[in-house]
Amino acid sequence: MLELKKGMTVHLTDGGTAVVEKELGRGGQGIVYAVKTDSGMMALKWYTDRPDDRFYDNLAENIKNGAPSDVFLWPLHITRKEYGSFGYIMKLRPEGYYEFTGFLRAKYRFESYHAITVAAMEICEGFKALHAQGLSYQDLNDGNFFIEPKTGHVLIVDNDNVFPHGEKSGIKGKMRYMAPEVVTGQNPNAHSDKFSLAVILFLLFCGNHPFEGARVASCPCMEEDAERRFYGSEILFICDPDDSSNRPVRGVHPNVIRHWPNLPGILRRTFITEFGKDRLLNPTRRLTELQWQSVIMAVRDNLVICPHCGEETYIDGASGCRCMNCRHSFDIPSILQIEKRSLALTKGNLLYIDRDEVPDVEVIQDKSDKSMLLLKNISGTKWSVDTPSGRTKIVSPGEVMPVKKGLIVTFGSFNKKGTIL
Amino acid sequence: MPVFNEPMPRRTMVLFFLVDASSSMEGGKIGAVNDAIRNVLPMVNDISVNNNDAEIRVAVLKFSSGVEWVYSEPKLASDFEWLDIQAAGLTDMGEACRELSRKLSRSAFMKSEGGFFAPAVILLSDGHPTDDFAAGLNSLKRNKWFMKGIRVAIAIGNDADKDALAQFCLDKEGVFDVHDIESLRKVIRLVALTTSQIGSTSATTADTTKQGQVIAAVKQGIENNKPSSVEEGKLEPAEPKKDNWTDWD
Ligand SMILES: [Zn+2]
Repeated sequence: MLELKKGMTVHLTDGGTAVVEKELGRGGQGIVYAVKTDSGMMALKWYTDRPDDRFYDNLAENIKNGAPSDVFLWPLHITRKEYGSFGYIMKLRPEGYYEFTGFLRAKYRFESYHAITVAAMEICEGFKALHAQGLSYQDLNDGNFFIEPKTGHVLIVDNDNVFPHGEKSGIKGKMRYMAPEVVTGQNPNAHSDKFSLAVILFLLFCGNHPFEGARVASCPCMEEDAERRFYGSEILFICDPDDSSNRPVRGVHPNVIRHWPNLPGILRRTFITEFGKDRLLNPTRRLTELQWQSVIMAVRDNLVICPHCGEETYIDGASGCRCMNCRHSFDIPSILQIEKRSLALTKGNLLYIDRDEVPDVEVIQDKSDKSMLLLKNISGTKWSVDTPSGRTKIVSPGEVMPVKKGLIVTFGSFNKKGTIL
Repeated sequence: MPVFNEPMPRRTMVLFFLVDASSSMEGGKIGAVNDAIRNVLPMVNDISVNNNDAEIRVAVLKFSSGVEWVYSEPKLASDFEWLDIQAAGLTDMGEACRELSRKLSRSAFMKSEGGFFAPAVILLSDGHPTDDFAAGLNSLKRNKWFMKGIRVAIAIGNDADKDALAQFCLDKEGVFDVHDIESLRKVIRLVALTTSQIGSTSATTADTTKQGQVIAAVKQGIENNKPSSVEEGKLEPAEPKKDNWTDWD
């Protein structure tokens, strides 16, 4: 009897106990229960398939080392081996977070395109931290993320399969999300995680699968050998510039057909490279999470408020500065150049100077002169501004400065200089 | 403004139940089958709804003297109103194979815009085929959908033709036998949920086939569900430990 019942007490190796309250859900590997512990209500994942000792020891080791970052709903305590199996304790999933699968099924929607960039950034942050500790996730798929639709905040769950890079967890991933070299027989590792990460990012931005186009749709029976071909030996990106045989199908893949032309060029180019033959065949050349984060930052810089309708739109899409919502074209009157980044200064736009998702600058209209744009300091620190004639001005939080060509703004705490062009 | 997306397209996995409704099933057996399938359908629906790989549709073929589909096409579990199967007549298992093969075709059940995963077939029987089973099975074995699918069988009681069922599954490990009504109910539930779960998701990178994974998981499930001998009331008391005071010299 491997299932637990309400009222049963399990013992944690660090001395605490957990009393089973109710079942929250079950999957292939085990059952998740709500349990009462010394530190309040928690979740207990209890294995019904009795993984081996190596799995147990690895889990205990991961608990000892702690979560690589806050994004993980990390195992906190492990139980003794009892009742014929074992389990681990983690925090309960907070209110307001939903499984990414539900977003893909259109049960939940991101409240904004900005929220998508936040989710993308946080997922990269999580895997960067994980890989930095020499660990790999190995079984990345749409069921591993919980996302808050309004803000885009992410929680990465099911972290019990995390093993050191190069070691096999024994858990087999879904082919749909696995790197082609794993589908054709190699062990998963941090490089194959990076492939799965790119698939997740594509799903976030495009709402369809990067390798499921005409070729896959025309396969009547997706049996196991067919999956091995479509996700392994014959894998082909739906937006491959040289081979159009797997393009998204009208009426079947409407999301990517709609989003792809709107995406900033840098993101389109990155997906094309990342899902191109070279990177598919050479796992070590895949983008690191840090490189992905600078791409996502550029995407965020290209996400602006349309001066006509006030909705978000990407610029640098296939049709340049044409709003993807109201279809009006507009000019970018000025830009703020920070190193290689060009931030558009349009009315209503929010600018992010550093990588976090808290905006630092708001572009507003001067009330007395509508043709004049102002930058409002909504960051926590003072800016100093050098004028072309050599004067220095201070803009404290809450204050504004005019958008005038040639002004150089030093964003104090970020150690960044921006020039208005 | 929220980001409006359409749901991603997903495939369909048809879960077939082939139910022996011959007269020997009358009474407790067919009652347990009716009860178990009726109760498992909402759970199959949960697996289908929270799944981005495939939705699950259910089709039920009963066979006795002749064969009959409970509904004329595969239905979502949520739309499948279970009508009790009555038991009477012979065991036309060969004809059941032939009829399954007819419907496992793009001109019959297997037509859908989004395409399919390979189907899963669960065969339940308590007796020997009374028609030409070998010929029926041979025609089914020429069907690609069937050969690529998951095939498992539940052998009910001592009279079940386990050889025939093993031939149907193309693997004798795919036959699970049950000898009482309570286990029949439990095994139907376990087999239905396991095949639904594994059959309706993208294949894993494991070396075993989906059928092999289903068989292993059902075995594990049966093992997990076994009450321990203590629960069954077999309590073997330990002998009291005698202290022979040896370390007291
Ligand atoms: Zn607009």
